[in-house]
Amino acid sequence: MSDLVERLKAPLKEGLIDVKASRGRRVFVRVRRESFRDAVSHIISGIGVRHLSAITGVDMGGEIELLYHFAYNSVVLTLGVSVPKGSPTMPTVTDLVPGAVFYEREAHEFLGAVFEGHPDLSPLLLPEGWPEGVYPLRKENDYNKLHETELRKV
Amino acid sequence: MSYGSTIKVPFGPQHPALKEPEHFLFEVDGDTVVSVKPRIGYVYRGMEKAFELRTYHQNMYLAERICGICSHAHTTCYAQAVEELLGSEIPPRAKYIRVIIAELERLHSHSLWVGIAAHEVGFDTLFMYVWRDREAVMDLLEAISGNRVNYAMNTIGGVRRDLNDEAVQKIRGVLDRFEKNVKGYSEIIGKEQTFVKRTRGVGVLKPRDAVSLCAVGPTLRASGIKSDVRLDDPYAAYDEIPFNVITDDGCDVFGRTVVRCGEMLESINIIRHALDHMPGGKLKVSVSRTVPPNETVSRVEAPRGELMHYAKSNGTTKPERYRVRSPTLANLAAVCQTLVGVHLADIPIILAGIDPCFSCMDRLAFVDRRGGAWSCTAEELGGGRGQ
Repeated sequence: MSDLVERLKAPLKEGLIDVKASRGRRVFVRVRRESFRDAVSHIISGIGVRHLSAITGVDMGGEIELLYHFAYNSVVLTLGVSVPKGSPTMPTVTDLVPGAVFYEREAHEFLGAVFEGHPDLSPLLLPEGWPEGVYPLRKENDYNKLHETELRKV
Repeated sequence: MSYGSTIKVPFGPQHPALKEPEHFLFEVDGDTVVSVKPRIGYVYRGMEKAFELRTYHQNMYLAERICGICSHAHTTCYAQAVEELLGSEIPPRAKYIRVIIAELERLHSHSLWVGIAAHEVGFDTLFMYVWRDREAVMDLLEAISGNRVNYAMNTIGGVRRDLNDEAVQKIRGVLDRFEKNVKGYSEIIGKEQTFVKRTRGVGVLKPRDAVSLCAVGPTLRASGIKSDVRLDDPYAAYDEIPFNVITDDGCDVFGRTVVRCGEMLESINIIRHALDHMPGGKLKVSVSRTVPPNETVSRVEAPRGELMHYAKSNGTTKPERYRVRSPTLANLAAVCQTLVGVHLADIPIILAGIDPCFSCMDRLAFVDRRGGAWSCTAEELGGGRGQ
């Protein structure tokens, strides 16, 4: 596990913000947005991780944090990157991990993250006619507000 | 044959494969699929938001209701996540009980699937036999927990019910009969031409694609990839129980059937081993209602594959963020790729091949025996405001 972190640290240098391990087999690594693509390519080609379990978006207030959960044998390596809510753009990873296609779409639909280069960011889960720009998992949209949301006629 | 032009064929949302809603838009040339576009969420319930509104203990009930088949997988995953956030360790006996219920759940889920696969290819006799045997497992789960599904066995810090000697005897008896019958069905499936012709070479998912599209569970293992959370990232008591991970190199629907039949036999061995080696002692430890700020990822091998939950706590009694990624979503990209190039008539069996569980995103609905159906709001359930 510590070996895994060392193998990430070397190539990322200043791009790395924080590393923590909640227990032996769960590692959280936070990187700067500029270094994100390099980190993903390194995880895949350098370390040899093949499986992306999911992408989780978290509303952090002024920012949206995107967590990419990579499974590597017994370890889940979570790569975190923050984007400002005002311009939540991220490069897509679908060219590196084709399996990310629906996870990015979900993060777009529920938190408004925009993945540049993604083939299709059309709605996947929310009802037809759901208004654009209302992202249910953002904290400013509380349950009552979402309940009042009116669907467009389609 | 090619017609030189394509037409679009909508499939679903009314029950495209199983009795659950999902929509696929197929573009076909003649009867060959050229492209496929899925639209899910017809039964979306906003559960991740709902998790943020309820306390950790209330959320156990919510987690139980994410899915009607693999509810124990979801509660195990949820309980593990919260136990990890709290830093608490559950008693050894609770770990064994979690394993036994999880494997009984796998038996009823996989036998449900084998029945549906048989039905989709027109082999209804097998469907009825397998479902007859599945009933015995459901009765067993009812005898243990009081419920055929949603067993409510898990709690944060352990399990809620013990297995007494009578239950253990019952389990052993049912397993003996089930094992004999599953071995018989496996043999029939391999020989019966009506089944083989409709499944072998159908819905091919090459190992490279299965890996790059991040497929999970029997879908991945039937493409020859040895990957199972129980082995790779052991939880509960799986690190103390020997078992084989079943794979097949067929990469097709037939291979997916072989894997699931093999896994049922493995599950039987796991349960027997767990019953033989079950430690005594307490069933649960008491845990705090407030959870310190922390985050974690929890994984279990649900019947359909890797199930992943992410939990983030903020020092209160309610989670800051809770994320559920069910195995069906993980397999969606793979099944969409598999469907390109197939014949229209093979769509149902290929869709069913991943054992999709659309209700992992469902909304709570109750069926009135007098006819009709209604929805129950969160208010009526004693929670916050309904959606």
